Amino acid sequence: MSIKLRYLLVFIIPAMLLYTVFIIYPLFDSLILSFFSWPGVGSRTFVGFKNFQTLFTGSYAKELFNAFLHNVYFFLLLILLELGLGFLIALMLASKIKGAGVFRVITYIPNMIPLVLVGFMWGLFLNPQVGLVNQLLKLVGLGGLAQPWLGLENTALTTIILVNVWRNLGFYVLVILAAILDISPDLIEAAYIDGANNWKITWRIIFPLTFSTFRTLAILLFIWSFNIFDTVYALTGVQAGPYRSTDVLGTLFYRTAFGGLGSGAVDMGLGASVTVFILMIVMPVSILYVYLVEKRQRSA
Amino acid sequence: MKKKILLVAVMALLVVSAFAGKVTIWSWRTQDAEVWQKIEALLKSRGQDITIEFTAYAPTEYDSKVNLALQTGTGPDIVYSRRLPGGRTQVLIENGLYLPISDHVDLTYFPQASLNSVTWENKVYGVPFAVQVVGIYYNKDYYDQFDLKEPTTWDELVANAEVLKKNGIDPFFVSGKEAWTLTMQHAMVGVSILGPEWIKDLTEGKTNFLDPKFTDVNKRLNDLKIYYQNGFMGNSSVDQDASFAFGQTAMVFYGVWGYQTWKQLNPDINVGYFMVPPITADQKPYAYTYLDGAIALTSNVKNMEDSIEILKFCATPEFGTIFAGVTYNIPAVTGSTLPPDPVLQEALEVYSNHASPYVYWVGSVFTTQKPSLYDDVLSPGMQEMYAGKLTPEGLSKMAQDAISQWYPPLMNK
Repeated sequence: MSIKLRYLLVFIIPAMLLYTVFIIYPLFDSLILSFFSWPGVGSRTFVGFKNFQTLFTGSYAKELFNAFLHNVYFFLLLILLELGLGFLIALMLASKIKGAGVFRVITYIPNMIPLVLVGFMWGLFLNPQVGLVNQLLKLVGLGGLAQPWLGLENTALTTIILVNVWRNLGFYVLVILAAILDISPDLIEAAYIDGANNWKITWRIIFPLTFSTFRTLAILLFIWSFNIFDTVYALTGVQAGPYRSTDVLGTLFYRTAFGGLGSGAVDMGLGASVTVFILMIVMPVSILYVYLVEKRQRSA
Repeated sequence: MKKKILLVAVMALLVVSAFAGKVTIWSWRTQDAEVWQKIEALLKSRGQDITIEFTAYAPTEYDSKVNLALQTGTGPDIVYSRRLPGGRTQVLIENGLYLPISDHVDLTYFPQASLNSVTWENKVYGVPFAVQVVGIYYNKDYYDQFDLKEPTTWDELVANAEVLKKNGIDPFFVSGKEAWTLTMQHAMVGVSILGPEWIKDLTEGKTNFLDPKFTDVNKRLNDLKIYYQNGFMGNSSVDQDASFAFGQTAMVFYGVWGYQTWKQLNPDINVGYFMVPPITADQKPYAYTYLDGAIALTSNVKNMEDSIEILKFCATPEFGTIFAGVTYNIPAVTGSTLPPDPVLQEALEVYSNHASPYVYWVGSVFTTQKPSLYDDVLSPGMQEMYAGKLTPEGLSKMAQDAISQWYPPLMNK
């Protein structure tokens, strides 16, 4: 059956228009803007590669490298915790333990809490003097471990990542659980009959058969890790303290583009050059993601 | 045809009547909503049929919202504008998005210092609305209990802290998680310890941040941290408000805007104020004061006549009286009647007689470009020094390295 071109266009053009206005245009405008100095109002001044020079070799080089490393750390820890823990919890829920349904809902609840509220809540929980976390540690005799979690260079970023895991874990659990439940029960039953134990079934059957889901999630986590802004902003603010120890490319972009605090200078061009850097990191991985999804659909 | 003309006429009438008497105002200060309700009621009682539509946005989103709205012609008649010098306001003025008000509004009730913060090329852009006074706010009950006196020298301040600490009271509460409070602390100590003359010399390039005097300020602050509450690097200003209001700490380095919050949390709190004391008693102490902002007329104004009337009112002591009565802030307009509160009276006295004419934090030239002394130096630098990862000398070098990149008087120094 052939579809007439004009009908195809009727369906494609509205979506293409929206995509062009909200994705393509801002993307190219950011690319162009990165070669200009612009305070957000009035005319733009062409500065060539000056913004990139300032970022990579000038006064922001140290901050850029520092923020980039934090994004990498963010990604590695998220992979380990969200996919690792997500897999373990999904396995537990898939084994049809008593109350699995309730537990599934509980796991997902933090995902429904608005991020501003998450920031406020954890700000209170992590209060050094009266916060829930330190009080609990004192209650179980581990008072020596109580500390200002968001105020120390060594703990602040990891704490933010853990809050992120607390909030998003439910999503990963649900996706991995769906992949596990997609496996034919016959395969697992057959393995049991052949004498395989739970360990072998997990690593020889379940993990290989859900690997494509892990691969997809890992790629998405990479993209999200390099776009992270909101959790850091909610917990340590745009200054990403203490002394930039929680700084990521997203907060660096905010400070360079919008001027940080008070009457600070605004330079959208410099901010745009940070976003171009983020794009350069994320784009190849995004293309890989699209390729893998396409490949999976073709083979399905 | 006649019907069409009639329809257009009705539409035009509807549009005109929709804007008639209505003035739209945008701000980042939610606490001012009641001020505008009172002003609207007062103007109406005087026969001026003006309806004020006040909208407050989150401070972090406010500037982008105003920029975008004014450029697309969807902005309000009046906005709260940031002070000068400052890149954000300056570009709006340069691009004609804020209109000068000098020809419409009588500004005789404002000191020149306030007007300087809203003047560009001899034209005034906005009516200044509030001034902020920062310094040390203390719990008078603790001072009375331990027979302490307001310190006149830095050593006396440290001695007071020592007495409080020995008696189990946290002498200071510092919100180290919020870097801006640390920069403010540095700036308020700087105006008294270094003095305005030194800051003037810095601004003119006669000295620089590597001067041992600047390092001495860093060192004094670093030495003071033993009197801060445990875990201060993890605390926010919200924690500080609660701790100070409920008497868990004796002193805070803060601004007069916090006073209303403390009183709301604990109406019985007995608060006192003093400027950061200088090194010796014969030095004059100074307070860090700055204009919070102005009420500005935008190029998007749809109701010019009534907007001018509002701005005229904002330039009168009557506005200041209403403003101070609601917000417990110091109005920028002189001649107002403040609530009969000793802290506010003292803040006003300090603003009038002890305001440092030269500063290096908010309202200074050092924050107008990148890297900024506020965002890029003192914010991370103070945290780093307090964490023991940066020496006082290192902080001075960090400041010099950053500002000398773009500020001509400090280049090659």
